[in-house]
Amino acid sequence: MTDDLTRCVISVLAPDSIGIIKRITSAITDLGGDIDGMSQTVIHGYFTVILTAEFQTVYTKEQIRDAILNNFEPGDASVMIRHFEEIPPPSQIRKTDRYILTLTGKDRPGILKTVTSYLADNNINIEDYFFTIQGDHVTHIGEVSVPSEIDIKQLQGELQTLVSSIDLVATLQHEFLFRAANDIFSIRQLFKMKK
Amino acid sequence: MRRVDDILNTVRMLEEGNLDVRTVTMGINIDDCAHSDIAKASVNVYKKIHSLAKDLVPFCDRLTTKYGLPIVNKRLAVSPASRLLEGHRPEDALQIARALDRAAADSNIDLIGGYTALVQKGMTNGEEILIHSLPTVLSQTQRLCSSINVGTSRAGINVDAIRTVSDMILKIAEATRDKNGFGCAKLVVFANIPEDNPFMAGAFLGAGEASSVINVGVSGPGVVKRAVESLVKDHPDVTLDEIAEVVKHTAFRVTRTGELIGREAAALLNVSFGVVDLSLAPTPKVGDSVGEIYQAMGIRKIGAPGTTAAVALLNDAVKKGGIFASAAVGGLSGAFIPVMEDHALAEAIKEGTLTIEKLEAMTAVCSVGLDMIALPGDVEASTISGMILDEAAIGVFTGKTTAVRVIPVPGKKIGDFVDFGGLFGSSCIANAACPDGNKCFIEHGGHIPAPINSLRN
Repeated sequence: MTDDLTRCVISVLAPDSIGIIKRITSAITDLGGDIDGMSQTVIHGYFTVILTAEFQTVYTKEQIRDAILNNFEPGDASVMIRHFEEIPPPSQIRKTDRYILTLTGKDRPGILKTVTSYLADNNINIEDYFFTIQGDHVTHIGEVSVPSEIDIKQLQGELQTLVSSIDLVATLQHEFLFRAANDIFSIRQLFKMKK
Repeated sequence: MRRVDDILNTVRMLEEGNLDVRTVTMGINIDDCAHSDIAKASVNVYKKIHSLAKDLVPFCDRLTTKYGLPIVNKRLAVSPASRLLEGHRPEDALQIARALDRAAADSNIDLIGGYTALVQKGMTNGEEILIHSLPTVLSQTQRLCSSINVGTSRAGINVDAIRTVSDMILKIAEATRDKNGFGCAKLVVFANIPEDNPFMAGAFLGAGEASSVINVGVSGPGVVKRAVESLVKDHPDVTLDEIAEVVKHTAFRVTRTGELIGREAAALLNVSFGVVDLSLAPTPKVGDSVGEIYQAMGIRKIGAPGTTAAVALLNDAVKKGGIFASAAVGGLSGAFIPVMEDHALAEAIKEGTLTIEKLEAMTAVCSVGLDMIALPGDVEASTISGMILDEAAIGVFTGKTTAVRVIPVPGKKIGDFVDFGGLFGSSCIANAACPDGNKCFIEHGGHIPAPINSLRN
């Protein structure tokens, strides 16, 4: 594979600060890049962003990386760049239903490993994951795609048994419940969208 | 990801506020089961109900698993059974009633409504048979519930029917003496009865409805109570309009979850979806009380001046939130105040802060009426008639639904305690402050004409 890029995936990690996105996006734009996808988050003061961009001109990874790093103090940012390839989301390969997994209880090391191993073993894709800690109490929320053929009742039972051993309570509920309770649109529309 | 706050808020509603769906009620029209041979009519009734309803409980259980949302009650409501009794003999009523009861039992349904007669203007032979059969039927069936409509805003109030029903209430109490008159808890006397109410004991399927339909009752009052309590705790200086806003937003959420379940249940059962009933229906459980909502608003002693205003605020806010949430709102859609089924209301009756007269005032601004009130065993029929008349007058002249469900408890006096257990709850015996002195008025009988505002054409 050539290092010369016209379309690429860029990831940046740096301490959060005002104007950080401007520094990244302006470097890409100044190279003639068109950003067509972006997601960012901040955890404990560390900012990270993943974005996709298409360039009119062919650049090497180093040229793009250097353009971004030039907008940061030396050593402040880590930049990773790779060639863009179309990858179908795992949940689109087979028929799945979107569920929300919630885990609550006392925080301890290894929760993520335990839960994500179980999900992976059961062919359940994690679409998004988040957790928050208050004192020693932790709440995990995972948005997961469950293959349609899986028996939900059995899955719920197994999950609860699994996390009971680490003093957590698990719930697994279809995402429609959360959409119904929080979003403003007709419920009938929800079922039409499903079809 | 969906907004984390939304997910956490919904999970908290489930865990702390006991968010649920109070009832999924399947309405079934049984008019086509009529037959000149009552035995054949009974077989038709059983077969039709059982064939349509046998999957109601398993499908609801499936939805409970999928959404992690309890569906507390699964119920049936049929078209008025009085129509099946036209042209039959009084002794035939019990056979139809037993067929209804057995169809519910074999479908794993705890209550079935629709042993109903609509007599606001007059009575047919079948309706008369049904009303007179109530003491026998409600003492010899387990699951069957009855409703009698004695007034509408268009037809006025049938006082003769009220007198007959009042006599029947005393006879039902006597026929179920060994259960403290419990049979009366399965009979509601209505004015302006809704045709799509999913809540027992007054549920039936009206003539304007589809042949089979799913109606849903939204979550119990715990969710609203938690929302109000948490608002007041975090903001002690909150104003009443801000409390109304929180109730409205909460009602929106519970209505939406109710509609979600209702529509999916209807699709699974391959029947029409009817309505979401917004009523907050309590159970005797602590934390599942409408009275606790008034307490959370600041009415420390339920029945104190201001209680009616609190009821009005709650009822109105629930409707506003619900009507924005769904285009399919119907049934009773207001806060219930069933004394025995709500521990905070029952406690207020015991403490003497809440009286039947205050409850009557409250019913002018909320749904239903004098509901689940235990009366002394020696209460006079004219006292019961007067209570029904007053409630009917409120309903008919204000254009809303009102109802009476009172239980004369044989052998018990004012202040005695009665406990039906389960969802039907417990309470002290109460009575009207002035229980007599109305006989001459009641005995005139006849009909109270419809109010002038009924002439709208």
